[in-house]
Amino acid sequence: MRTDVLDQSRGGMWAWLLQRITAVLLIVGFASHLISTHIMAIGELSYDNIAHRLASGFFVAMDVMLLAAVLYHALNGARMVILDYWLSAKAQRRALSLALWLVGVAAFIYGLWALWPWIKG
Amino acid sequence: MSAKHRETANVGAGNWKGLGMWAWILFRVAGVVLVFYLFAHIGVISSARLGGHHTMNTIFKTFDKTLFVLLDLLLVWAVLFHGLNGVRIVLMDLGIGITRHKAMFWACITVAVVCFAFFAYSALNFIADKGGAWL
Repeated sequence: MRTDVLDQSRGGMWAWLLQRITAVLLIVGFASHLISTHIMAIGELSYDNIAHRLASGFFVAMDVMLLAAVLYHALNGARMVILDYWLSAKAQRRALSLALWLVGVAAFIYGLWALWPWIKG
Repeated sequence: MSAKHRETANVGAGNWKGLGMWAWILFRVAGVVLVFYLFAHIGVISSARLGGHHTMNTIFKTFDKTLFVLLDLLLVWAVLFHGLNGVRIVLMDLGIGITRHKAMFWACITVAVVCFAFFAYSALNFIADKGGAWL
């Protein structure tokens, strides 16, 4: 019983594991993302510059991976913050998870739509 | 001390004092900032398809203003701190360095400061070259 309660207060084992896996992906992904946008191409922020970068399949794949990973990581993180202060009932927790999944999936689809011209190639 | 008491002591006062507490607070604040930034970022990048070439470049012109470049640096700091303290948390979850978490904290801060210096140098150069308006 006590471990159950403890586990709930931490948001669940699978969420914990996925939060760690996405964290590692984001560390590597953001290092590449920030260096390529802010160090290598500083002062060249424009549609053409981004379109040029996205002409490479590597950056498109990277962006799609980052989009999925960061959405999961951010929304699960937000969930952990919310659960620390509010929503103790099980039904409320489920409702929160469902709502956040809907937001995440919608944002992912919207992001794919925005990147579509480059995904299509 | 019974196991239950020890657990209570860890969950309560242990987390609410000293360096570990500040690491936790800053980690959380940076995390919340980054959640909001993420959705703003998706919105801005989608302008490429929503409004097209011209809309996106108009938005980017605003981001070249000094205020936004400085806000960018704040963002870089949030990413560096959250990311590096996150590495420390992952290591501690794996059982590495739990007893030396303070030393690991300062190691993370050192790496973050060195990385930040590169970004700050690059951003300040940009502001100096550009000499643009504040807003």
